Amino acid sequence: MADLVLTGIDKTFGHQRVLQGISLKADDGEFVVLLGPSGCGKSTLLRIIAGLEQQTSGSVLIGGQCVDALPPHRRDIAMVFQNYALYPHLTVRENLAFGLRMRKTPSDIIEARIAEAAELLEIADLLDRRPKDLSGGQRQRVAMGRALVRHPRLFLFDEPLSNLDARLRASMRVEIKKLHKRLGVTMIYVTHDQIEAMTLGEKIVVMDQGEIRQIGTPEEIYRQPHNPFVAGFIGTPPMNLLEGRLSVQARKCLFEAETFQLVLPIVPEKGGMARPIPAILGIRPEDLLPHPEERPIVEITGTVDLVENLGAETLVYLAIDGKRLTARFPATYRVQPGNTVTVYVSPHRIHLFTKGERLPFSCE
Amino acid sequence: MTRTPAERVLLGVGIVFAVLGSLFPFVWFVLTSLKSPLAVEAIPPTWWPDGNLGFYRSALAEHQLLAYVGNSVIVAGSTTVLSLALAIPAGYALARIPMAGKSWILGGLLTISMFPQIVIAGPIWQLLNRLGGLNTHWGLTLPYVALTLPLAIWILATFFKDLPLELEEAARVDGCTVWQTLYRVMIPLATPGIFTAAILTFIYAWNEFFFALLILTDPAKQTLPVGLALFQGEFTMPWGELAAASVLATLPLIVLVLVFQRGIISGLSAGAVKG
Ligand SMILES: Nc1ncnc2c1ncn2[C@@H]1O[C@H](COP(=O)(O)OP(=O)(O)OP(=O)(O)O)[C@@H](O)[C@H]1O
Ligand SMILES: [Mg+2]
Repeated sequence: MADLVLTGIDKTFGHQRVLQGISLKADDGEFVVLLGPSGCGKSTLLRIIAGLEQQTSGSVLIGGQCVDALPPHRRDIAMVFQNYALYPHLTVRENLAFGLRMRKTPSDIIEARIAEAAELLEIADLLDRRPKDLSGGQRQRVAMGRALVRHPRLFLFDEPLSNLDARLRASMRVEIKKLHKRLGVTMIYVTHDQIEAMTLGEKIVVMDQGEIRQIGTPEEIYRQPHNPFVAGFIGTPPMNLLEGRLSVQARKCLFEAETFQLVLPIVPEKGGMARPIPAILGIRPEDLLPHPEERPIVEITGTVDLVENLGAETLVYLAIDGKRLTARFPATYRVQPGNTVTVYVSPHRIHLFTKGERLPFSCE
Repeated sequence: MTRTPAERVLLGVGIVFAVLGSLFPFVWFVLTSLKSPLAVEAIPPTWWPDGNLGFYRSALAEHQLLAYVGNSVIVAGSTTVLSLALAIPAGYALARIPMAGKSWILGGLLTISMFPQIVIAGPIWQLLNRLGGLNTHWGLTLPYVALTLPLAIWILATFFKDLPLELEEAARVDGCTVWQTLYRVMIPLATPGIFTAAILTFIYAWNEFFFALLILTDPAKQTLPVGLALFQGEFTMPWGELAAASVLATLPLIVLVLVFQRGIISGLSAGAVKG
């Protein structure tokens, strides 16, 4: 087991910059999720950690040891690939044994490791089959077993569940979580699925266009997004983001987007904004409430455009002075398109971004 | 695709003609080989043979057919082994290692394999003469390897390119060197491609006539095609023996293709990735 430290990783393919200045740390035994949209460089970063790709600059430390010059098999890592990458010509047992054989592990130890992994992943009765005779979920287990038997210092997963159907994905997610608890080994997990990220990750690294946008616990990422990208990327339905201008007045702020106006009972921590500045206002759909529940509270009145009943909850799309807001209400909330409604949001739940960064403020 | 009945009939007739047309000479030879000497010369020709195996006996006993077969097996076999031993790593490298001008190399290979043989006959003869390779089996194998390599490399490179990259990366993480990855993972998965290349190479070497005639003048060293061509009877052309020998020369090829066909068809790589 070991920690992982990345410092200033850059990667270019030809003229294309794929990663820029990636620095992060995974503590010993931590579950770190790399999350980001397709093409943001997650896989490339994971492959650099694995040694399958060489970074242009920066370095990778595993357990305090710089591994930049080491080939993948000397880094003591195991990787679970998106498409499983099981050797089709070998049985499950041979697949599991392959990596150990290459390391000249004595065969009694190999047997013991296979038995241990087979029991843990419940694949004992599949050992003599070939990959083509397995279902997707079973292949996924075997792929994890192949990583498991090696007892590596570091587990790397590249979107391991993306080829499974929704139900299987949910159950494998739980199993991976249990596996991590039980083994206590450091895991780096790449995904573009935020549910996977939020449920599995102890630490989430949000990436976009080859850069880290935020590192934090799922709670921090969700509650305190550092920038509009993270704010908009995390959460379904996505956070309402309105572009406009913010001006600071005595003990309150005024947010204006064309004809839409909102008086906010907040004071930015860094004072001294004489003139209005461009800003983005963010409110999560679930933070819009049908009733005022506390004081102070911000009121927004608009017309109902569309109502979507999702069973457990209702999505209400509001039009407010040419701007659109999505609200997520309990299913018991009854409303018709065309109705005029007032929704409420606690100033604590409001997000403001200026110059692409979160604007810290205190509530009056 | 849906076809009208007329189109289907036309297609069927076309196929029957194509098959009959290409098989006819061979069928005729098989029939001839099984006739008695008298029936061969009969006018008008008789269709059905009387099941006489005399021609086979005399082809084997009087014309040293087995010696020719032995020579052919040696030359075609070593050509196939050598050509593949070189083509497999070359194909793998061309498929996977990033290098400048790769498409030029592949294009060049294909072009070379289409050169008319007569162009290189002179230089090869001179080279072999100097090396002492005339009238030796290795002297014939060498140009065969050179001539079959481009196509074998081309086939294998195409095949390796289509195998999932993830498998190689898994092998690297598991601790394989490049060579180990090649023979433990890639070669087992590329068997259909390797069989294809092997069969084509073997057939080429088995059938090749021009260089064999040029390089092997000693009857004891000659391969089947040359041996057959130089079949001499004392007074007449020994049609019956020729037919029997031709059948015997073709049989190994048919057996080989049938045996290897399984390997070509078996979809080994199914289930390698997702699915
Ligand atoms: N070998 C390569 N050569 C050139 N460009 C590459 C190579 N590998 C990746 N890229 C580019 O690097 C960028 C990041 O790729 P990467 O595979 O890391 O994205 P990703 O975040 O894993 O996306 P996805 O979620 O789709 O898997 C992409 O624009 C891709 O085209
Ligand atoms: Mg990826």
